[in-house]
Amino acid sequence: MTQAMGVKRAEKRVALAALFVGFLKVSLLGFGGGLVWARRIAVDQQRWLDDHEFAEILTLCQFMPGPNIVGITLCVGSKLRGAIGAITAVAGFILIPWTVGLALGGLCLQYAHLPVLQNILGGISAAAAGLMIATGIRLLLPHRSRRTALLFAALAFAGMALTKLPLVVVLLGLAPVSIAVAGITSAKAS
Amino acid sequence: MNSPSATVALVAHLALLSSISFGGFPSVLPDVHNFVVANGWVTDREFANFFAISGVVPGPNMILMMSLVGLQVGGIPGAVASALATFGPPCVMYYTAYRLWDRFRDMPWQRIVRLGLAPLTIGLVIAGGYVMARAADTRWPSAMVTGAAVGLMLATRLNPLWILMTGGALGGLGLL
Repeated sequence: MTQAMGVKRAEKRVALAALFVGFLKVSLLGFGGGLVWARRIAVDQQRWLDDHEFAEILTLCQFMPGPNIVGITLCVGSKLRGAIGAITAVAGFILIPWTVGLALGGLCLQYAHLPVLQNILGGISAAAAGLMIATGIRLLLPHRSRRTALLFAALAFAGMALTKLPLVVVLLGLAPVSIAVAGITSAKAS
Repeated sequence: MNSPSATVALVAHLALLSSISFGGFPSVLPDVHNFVVANGWVTDREFANFFAISGVVPGPNMILMMSLVGLQVGGIPGAVASALATFGPPCVMYYTAYRLWDRFRDMPWQRIVRLGLAPLTIGLVIAGGYVMARAADTRWPSAMVTGAAVGLMLATRLNPLWILMTGGALGGLGLL
């Protein structure tokens, strides 16, 4: 069924304007979780690609550094219209929301010395810190049966949060060992 | 505002960090925090403010947060350059990788590298939250807000925006 849809879809060429607007929507709707909206718009609403193709792009992007949602945007644009599609999709995602956000943010910071605003921002950032910790915990749950994974997560946490080492040092120090351990354990398992 | 060399140093640092930001930009937040605070460009409080503002504005939050840091260090040019440094290098990598994807899609090493990197990036995301909590939670009531946010986010399917707004409202009422 997905293949039949794929054939139908490949016949029409997606307009660059539609790409721009589509990812502008993803960006504006995506409070906290842009991924949900990226899938809803690209797969369900526009039928630019099917679930299988979307999952493949997601896997690639999770494997890469940088904001994953920007990577998804770029890959979908690239898949549909090549390099110019990639640029258009990313521009749609970033340009307008960034400009508006920076203007609002800059304005807000002009008044950041006011006690009321200071208190509001303090409350928001306390809550936002909690959301980030919760996101990390949720990501960790699927790995909880692997004791070495928990160990390396704890080491990365300690290296960054407690010792204040530069990230490059923490990653270069831990990544080779962690990958080697993952290789040994999966070789044993198979 | 600081000297132009400060902007250059910030942008170079952001470009380096974005190139190694496996697991997204939250994983490099502690490093950015330590870097800009140690250089005296941004205070703990201001960094927490940037975090709060970028959290309630829709759109690319982390790019916006780094732009606010850049705005503080080098004005509008600093903001634009910081945004580019945050998403530019990863975009080049995404594009290249997407083109090469077919060649290494079924390689077993790819799964192993991912298994090895995943716990590290998760530990770094939690460290990011911890460092931001340290900057934001000056007294025990705000620490309780952080704790409650963790609990609500894990236990309910509430839209995170409500949690942020509740935190802001409690702060605005002078309860924190």
